[in-house]
Amino acid sequence: MSLLKPLNKLPELNTANVLLVENEELFQKKLADAIVLLENNVNVIVRLARSLPLPLESRPRIDLVVFIVHLNSEQSLLSAEASLKHLDSSYFLGKVCFLVTGARCGTLPYERLTSLKKLAATLNSPLLMTEDRTTEGVNTVAQRVLAVLRVAAGLVPMATGLYLSSLTRCTVPTDPDWQNQD
Amino acid sequence: MEDARECLRDGVLNHLNVLEIEALELSRQQQLCLQQQSRVDDLRIMVDKLRAQKDQLKARAKTTMSLQQLKAVVHQRNEEFNDDISEEGCSMTAKSQLSFLMARKTQVKDLLQAHHLIGGYDVTETCRGKGVCISIATAFEGFYLETYNLELDVSRAIQICRHNIPPFIPLEKLAQVNLQTDLMGFLSTLSHHLNGFAGRRQQIRLIQEVLRDSVEVMESNVLFNTIVLMCADPEENGRAVLCTLEYSDLSRYLPTKVTIESEDKALPSTPQWKESQSLLLQTPAHTALKALKMKGQIA
Amino acid sequence: MDDSTKQVLRQIIRRIPLNKLQNMLSKWEHLSKKQLRSLEFTQPKWLLCDNLLSICEENDLSMKHVTELEIIYRIDHPAQGSWNVCQLIDPEEEAVTADLLHFKQLFKAHLRGLISHVSVKTKKHEDGAIWIRIAWGDNFTQPNHLKPTYVVHHLQTPYVFVSGLTMKHKPLLHQALVLSAHYGGIKDVHLSGRCLTALRDLLMRQYKQVFPVKHPRLLLERSPLPSNPNIQMEHAKHAENRLQMAAEAFGEGILPKLETAVYKLETRFRENGNGMLGRREEPFRGVVKFASSNLLESLKYCVSSGMASAPVTPLLSSITQKGRNYFVITDKGPGASHTPGPNI
Repeated sequence: MSLLKPLNKLPELNTANVLLVENEELFQKKLADAIVLLENNVNVIVRLARSLPLPLESRPRIDLVVFIVHLNSEQSLLSAEASLKHLDSSYFLGKVCFLVTGARCGTLPYERLTSLKKLAATLNSPLLMTEDRTTEGVNTVAQRVLAVLRVAAGLVPMATGLYLSSLTRCTVPTDPDWQNQD
Repeated sequence: MEDARECLRDGVLNHLNVLEIEALELSRQQQLCLQQQSRVDDLRIMVDKLRAQKDQLKARAKTTMSLQQLKAVVHQRNEEFNDDISEEGCSMTAKSQLSFLMARKTQVKDLLQAHHLIGGYDVTETCRGKGVCISIATAFEGFYLETYNLELDVSRAIQICRHNIPPFIPLEKLAQVNLQTDLMGFLSTLSHHLNGFAGRRQQIRLIQEVLRDSVEVMESNVLFNTIVLMCADPEENGRAVLCTLEYSDLSRYLPTKVTIESEDKALPSTPQWKESQSLLLQTPAHTALKALKMKGQIA
Repeated sequence: MDDSTKQVLRQIIRRIPLNKLQNMLSKWEHLSKKQLRSLEFTQPKWLLCDNLLSICEENDLSMKHVTELEIIYRIDHPAQGSWNVCQLIDPEEEAVTADLLHFKQLFKAHLRGLISHVSVKTKKHEDGAIWIRIAWGDNFTQPNHLKPTYVVHHLQTPYVFVSGLTMKHKPLLHQALVLSAHYGGIKDVHLSGRCLTALRDLLMRQYKQVFPVKHPRLLLERSPLPSNPNIQMEHAKHAENRLQMAAEAFGEGILPKLETAVYKLETRFRENGNGMLGRREEPFRGVVKFASSNLLESLKYCVSSGMASAPVTPLLSSITQKGRNYFVITDKGPGASHTPGPNI
């Protein structure tokens, strides 16, 4: 299966492409609507997928891949992990980001979040916590995704995805409490 | 300005937040306006499209009309041709147009015939060539009724894997006869059965619809092969007449046996009713009964 | 009216909910309008029942009339108790032309010939089905009207729907059915459920099936396309494909309401390691049971939403294709087993 590469297609002028990958297809539509509604200056194209790889068709290059993981389902995490294998390694230089929903719920197994954090940390990618039930939460996360996207698509002068990700990437804390929970 | 001062008391970030929310609201409104504008544009394009379509349809109607006129001319000319060969009054242009149209018509007819010759069933390939789905359309008096489908597995021996043919059609029995040996023969007998069933049912539906006040369907069954109809004699305080239609050949929509009963034992043997009995045997029930009503034989 | 009739009437009244009682009694047509009006439906049920009993006694109604009330109620509310389906096989020539009156007479005669004390009541439903209520007795006891068997049959079709039949009376009923409907035999088709209409629709193919055609219509449940041109579905084609497959396997629109599907496993236990179970010689026995308020709808959603992989496994699609919901899976045959099912 062919890998998805960030640089094998030419970019279009003043355009940013973002790919939302979510196995459940519950949240991506809401988020996509919010993202399109929020951005007025740049032509943002949102692509929705359940999992990678994508069907082989002509599409412009994708500047940012967002994995949406619901903590209330194991399948969600597994599917994201499986999809990661179909990304070229150069995507991990600041063109991947993880969104987590339901982290506030106390009854969910904590190990899932831990393993996801570890995954994000090893891939040098940022991990954003999301509230998916309220409009405000959706708007907030849309803004944050847009901010990352603008940088990743090279629309912000003097900033690159690599530079941003070195600041925003997820790190696993080293204190003993955290490791005990593992 | 007063508002700004008020807000600034709560902190700069808070104020920024408020401003941002306002900005968002404004942009949303702007977007809505834009959307409405684009909707209007879309509708305008739609109007243009529809206009074009209307023109097209008009043109087509015109050609059909002219074709019909030409056909009439041809008909007339043919008759005249038989009478008198020497007469030739038509101009060259109309003649060439006519011959062109006639040629087109025969072409279409040939195509239709070819489709009919290869079976007239719609066949779709399924399961990457391992199976086919055949749809058999039923029709009665020029109107299409239900379409039945049959999915066959043709990878080894031909097998029926899925279908929506009602259980009272003896599909299994028909399949035993010639499914393996003669698929076309199987399909045509099946199609006759389905058409017969659909035709019988449609007759009853039409009777219930059109002759609601004069004929009552007393009894029928799922296969519509035994039907009892009740109608009234118009004279002599309306004696009830029972017509029992039996269809022993399930692939036909005409009855094989018609019995007429009445309280008055002499009535079925009157020449009038004998004639209508044979009428019922030869024509579909709803047209026969309509004719009887027109003649005033039933109320 | 004797005591047993009163008891049966009481039981029937107890089963019918109070809000439906008035409607049922007027359909029954054994009470005069005045009598019906004299009944107060706001009263507690036991009081109402006593009043009704006295009226019935006044009218001199017998067991025959009382069972008629039950059959009317049962026809209106068929989703009670569990229905099993049998299929008549090897039709004779007369099976196609059998008419209702003839069937009724034959059935009664045959059943009475087989068992001396039996009470049979039949009624024709509007959709052409014949409803038969059988109260069984044996050689020395009177028919027990408290536990009747209901049989529903559409003439000219091979299917018979049975509810409340004990093993003891099964051969008798089967024999009477086979003889009076002019068939050569009868078999169980392993389909059961509470909703009679669903079983009928499934077997008579009265629900909407989807077939692959050259020019597919738009599927009704197709997910709405994203409103904005800037949002694109990458897997739209796959999603469409899944919807089509789900519709082909389970149908479209309102699906017949089945509650359960049972798979009995008699296969060897397969595992990667060399566990205790894998080495056993005899088959591993287990039962897998799917239960839902509308099983087909749930399965269809599983496939169309991508939770279950498409194409649909024959084990699930044979519920609709073969019209059964009880399967025995053995090692020899792939997919569904060879236990007799309806021939479709």
